[in-house]
Amino acid sequence: MDYILHLILLCGIYMILAMSLNLINGKCGQFSLGHAGFWAVGAYTGASFTVFTGWPLPGFLMLFLSCIVSFLCAALAGVLIGVPCLRLRGDYLAIATLGFGEIIRIIIINMDVVGGPRGFTDIPKLSNLFWTYFWVGITILTFRNLMHGTHGRAIISIREDEIAAESMGIATFKYKTLAFVIGAGFAGIAGTLFAHAQQFISPQNFIFMWSAYILLMIILGGLGSFTGSIIGATLFLLLGEALRFFGETVAEYRMIIYALLLVLLMLLRPQGLFGKGELKFFWKGSKT
Amino acid sequence: MTTLLETRKATMRFGGLVAVSDLGLEIFPSDLVGIIGPNGAGKTTVFNMITGHYRPSGGDILLEGRSIVKYRPAHITQKGIARTFQNIRLFKDLSVLDNIRLGAHHRTGYGLLSNILCNGKYRREEERIRKESLELLKIFGLHKKHDHLSKNLPYGEQRKLEIARALATDPKILLLDEPAAGMNPKETKDLTGLIRWVRDEFKVAVLLIEHDMRLVMEVCERIYVLDYGKMIAHGGPGDIQKDPKVIEAYLGVQDE
Repeated sequence: MDYILHLILLCGIYMILAMSLNLINGKCGQFSLGHAGFWAVGAYTGASFTVFTGWPLPGFLMLFLSCIVSFLCAALAGVLIGVPCLRLRGDYLAIATLGFGEIIRIIIINMDVVGGPRGFTDIPKLSNLFWTYFWVGITILTFRNLMHGTHGRAIISIREDEIAAESMGIATFKYKTLAFVIGAGFAGIAGTLFAHAQQFISPQNFIFMWSAYILLMIILGGLGSFTGSIIGATLFLLLGEALRFFGETVAEYRMIIYALLLVLLMLLRPQGLFGKGELKFFWKGSKT
Repeated sequence: MTTLLETRKATMRFGGLVAVSDLGLEIFPSDLVGIIGPNGAGKTTVFNMITGHYRPSGGDILLEGRSIVKYRPAHITQKGIARTFQNIRLFKDLSVLDNIRLGAHHRTGYGLLSNILCNGKYRREEERIRKESLELLKIFGLHKKHDHLSKNLPYGEQRKLEIARALATDPKILLLDEPAAGMNPKETKDLTGLIRWVRDEFKVAVLLIEHDMRLVMEVCERIYVLDYGKMIAHGGPGDIQKDPKVIEAYLGVQDE
């Protein structure tokens, strides 16, 4: 039972990760492959905050504060990486962000304060289902509201046609950075929740493969659909767990199965499950 | 009369190629000016220089007496120069209304925080922009289709929508890059009326590039003729049609 609850909690974390990457990749159209890096920044800053301050506050408050701290730190990392990288386009941006994601991981490996390659241990278990899904809710609300306003529309317009957006008086670089920074910040929150759920984090948790997994979630659900990201994250987790029933060998080959799944998806439904569409909830209150 | 937009010896070089050289345009408020010239004469380059997509290699461009060559395109649009594109560049997967609202983006007065919190300021401003945008669409006869995706509109209406979107930025001067491209004669005729009417209704100056001579001669009050990046003639439609240099540029000279 505990195991299943833990999975549901993880699922919430994946949802936040997927939605935050979807803001960058799906809504803004900037292909980022460094999301695991921001996740790591969030996890390490959040964990450091609770462990090193050691304030005698109630657990939920501590978690809340460390979520805020990790949001800010990951957003700052987003600014530092976004400002140079977002001048690039397409494949070049993907490679640059991939590089920066790895740089973050390497920096962490070389930081003895947080355990270096041995990992960060003895993080108090503060994440629970309620607070995880509280943050999932905050993420959904923030993104939904954002997308209904002029700032969200500006972000989408960059995906649609960057030159036209610039010609319509939209400062495209500013909005690209904005999407990147907000996405990074929420990945940071997912990191804190993750650290306080696992109680142990190591640089191995945040390898490049995870950026690819998050990408897989949003492509599965549909680039540009937050509903899709939620479903995609859930499916990703369920699929990984379902494969365990077929024994260790099958579970070891899950990469092949993910790849096959992607190929199948591209053949049958290249826009992902939801395409760019959303469920009613996301559209409520918006008159087209 | 004060000039609205002026280019002073504006020059654009791409490596060894001089696309536009020493161009001097003058646009006055509520002007209706055309730029014509054979293919490759540098007309679109002129537009790209004015709107900031290219930075001129030499010379200066002044909007109401102030140089704008160092600004980014978005900033120039906010200052009051809006444009359309030769090959329509709408936000294809967004609704017609959203296209207009994006044009009004820089006039939407609420910050990011208001947006995320959906507070009163956000609601008031969104309501205002929505109303203004729908009114603008009504003027163009597109309000019934405001929730259609813009890619699903017929070609002529896409052209119209692009002009409407440019007008939503509240420009002082409107740059139209081949507005009649791909239109049939009837649509072109409607467009002629539309351009005149837009100028009168919105009190904007219009600068347009066009290949359709009938449209240019009918609609423009002044015409600049470019050939190989140089201005070869300037004047009213009647003078231009008689100008030997223009005839030479378009038809060539007969060998003696």
